[in-house]
Amino acid sequence: MMKDGVQGATEEEQQAQSKKGLKKQQKEAEKAAKKAEKQAKQAADQQSSEEDDFAKHRYGVSAMVQSQEKLDRTLVQIQDLTPAKADQLVWLRARVHTSRAKGKQCFLVLRQQQFNVQALVAVGDRASKQMVKFAANITKESIVDVEASVRKVELKIESCSQQDVELHIERIFVISQAEPRLPLQLEDAVRPDGEGEEEGRATVNQDTKLDNRVIDLRTTTSQAIFRLQSGVCQLFRDTLTNKGFVEIQTPKIISAASEGGANVFTVSYFKTSAYLAQSPQLYKQMCICADFDKVFCVGPVFRAEDSNTHRHLTEFVGLDIEMAFNYHYHEVIESITDTMVQIFKGLRDNFQTEIQMVNKQYPSEPFKFLEPTLRLEYTEALAMLHEAGVEMGDEEDLSTPNEKLLGRLVKEKYDTDFYVLDKYPLAVRPFYTMPDPNNPKYSNSYDMFMRGEEILSGAQRVHDAQLLTERATHHQIDLEKIKAYIDSFRYGAPPHGGGGIGLERVCMLYLGLHNVRQTSMFPRDPKRLTP
Amino acid sequence: MALRELSSLEKYLGLKKPNKYTTRGDKKIPVLQSSNGTQLVGLLTIACHLVKEAKRPELLGDSTERRALAQQWLEYRVTRLDGYSKEDVKNILQDLNLHLQDKVYLTGNQFTVADALMYYGVHPLIVDLSIQEKEQYVNVTRWFDHIQHYPGVRHHLPLVVVLRNTIYTGRHH
Repeated sequence: MMKDGVQGATEEEQQAQSKKGLKKQQKEAEKAAKKAEKQAKQAADQQSSEEDDFAKHRYGVSAMVQSQEKLDRTLVQIQDLTPAKADQLVWLRARVHTSRAKGKQCFLVLRQQQFNVQALVAVGDRASKQMVKFAANITKESIVDVEASVRKVELKIESCSQQDVELHIERIFVISQAEPRLPLQLEDAVRPDGEGEEEGRATVNQDTKLDNRVIDLRTTTSQAIFRLQSGVCQLFRDTLTNKGFVEIQTPKIISAASEGGANVFTVSYFKTSAYLAQSPQLYKQMCICADFDKVFCVGPVFRAEDSNTHRHLTEFVGLDIEMAFNYHYHEVIESITDTMVQIFKGLRDNFQTEIQMVNKQYPSEPFKFLEPTLRLEYTEALAMLHEAGVEMGDEEDLSTPNEKLLGRLVKEKYDTDFYVLDKYPLAVRPFYTMPDPNNPKYSNSYDMFMRGEEILSGAQRVHDAQLLTERATHHQIDLEKIKAYIDSFRYGAPPHGGGGIGLERVCMLYLGLHNVRQTSMFPRDPKRLTP
Repeated sequence: MALRELSSLEKYLGLKKPNKYTTRGDKKIPVLQSSNGTQLVGLLTIACHLVKEAKRPELLGDSTERRALAQQWLEYRVTRLDGYSKEDVKNILQDLNLHLQDKVYLTGNQFTVADALMYYGVHPLIVDLSIQEKEQYVNVTRWFDHIQHYPGVRHHLPLVVVLRNTIYTGRHH
């Protein structure tokens, strides 16, 4: 009975299914027929349109550039498109930033890096209806070659960097086609936080930006940030070279950790293991012992700290300085602060456009500094903090909130975003730091701060092998592992000092940004290894 | 807490011999056995009684309007401030900051007992504020600093450091 019932049910089901199936088939057949019809019609349309399209050689998708030919064609830069070029016929290569068709016209915004210009394809004796349609259908971010005449405009084009001219397109060829769906929209990525919220417009969160870094890097903000960063490196090199420094390259695979063993990456090195350098510290000092006198080094630095904060990366670019001095380590401080001031001045004078571009998305106050740079001693700083109601011990290190508060207090009192904090307690510094001759609790070491955040740590180093051994033992460091380092001071070593700066932090704080990932092109942190 | 507050208030009012208080219930509501035999219950009741005993009626407000305003803030003190939760802190400080925008004291330009009791009540909130927050609630901070330095009010409470100048003017933090 039961069995029969079940069988009956399944038969019924089958019948129902086959009925459904039939209907489905029928529908699909109809669909296919319609599709075929449509395709045929389209093909016919295309054929007919191709036949009577007088402008068909003026547009299209170019064959892949495989270096078949050397065209004698000069491509102009968008930033050079000014009223001076009015009524000239020019060729240029650019990205399609946006396109908007409107009846017989199609407006395009063409972009090159941080510059853009408005372009127009209009039906007329140079362009056909089909050409306008083709232009309107070019996907965003595609790269095109365009021949166009430059025309002055009466009303300024506010949305473009070239406000006084527009381009009337005569030919347009797609060189590289972008896929129609972009993982993020460039307009959304440059929208300031909070703006457009009421219109329900999207902003792109940082992880999405970083996941699609190649596209995010095309935004005006990113373009400006990394052009400025390149400027920092160049100003750093130029200033130091002028001061008689020598640029050196140091190994990044090292045998012993330079600043405590906890935060180093271990790499397997044939049958043993090695570490990734936390700083070129030991090598730049050895160069000093080798009579290079003043050296600097720009290169990657690794920290295996598992801290996911706005200002920590596991790999960043270190700008390191080391120099021999005559009698007092303040000679070193002066040299470094002067270098920083030259960088700030260079940025202020030569990178105003880039600073403005970043400010549009991330508003901040202009960076302020004093000349000569303000130098505070640790005890003075503690007194300022104490006055503001902060309780902390004499030999305690500054916590991040206190560091920031101190930055605020200094800004209020001295009106500077850049200052040096000198004479740190010996206990909170690495073993190679020279103790203060007047008070053994303190040391000849210093930090530098921008907008209340640390960018540089430095000190006079111990250049006496015996004292160095003593200090290393005090810090319980295995003497065997740093033997080569200590030995280099046995055969005459000049007094010297130096410091290391994080490039990404300098850029972040100069621009008043809030996350160091914004100033790292492909950031590495405990949670991110790609792209 | 309430008892120490009342004894500080007594000292401020200049009452010579301190009263004896007991507490009642879980919430430790203060109780005063007065000399004529009646029992006074509750912080506000006792505070008003002490003011009368000290013959300083102006401290309850010297006009009808001011009396009402003082009473309102005294009630705010016991209803909103006593037993506040973490989520309340922001609201309380915002309320107070807005109210004090154009006033020296809670009722305007005269010190009343409401200022003293609000100061005692708000003290644990202010102690925990960062300098940035103190600057954010600048009117509260100004009033608080003034009251903590008002002759004879502070007594049992530690002084809170208050900066006289603003240091968080910009957008950067």
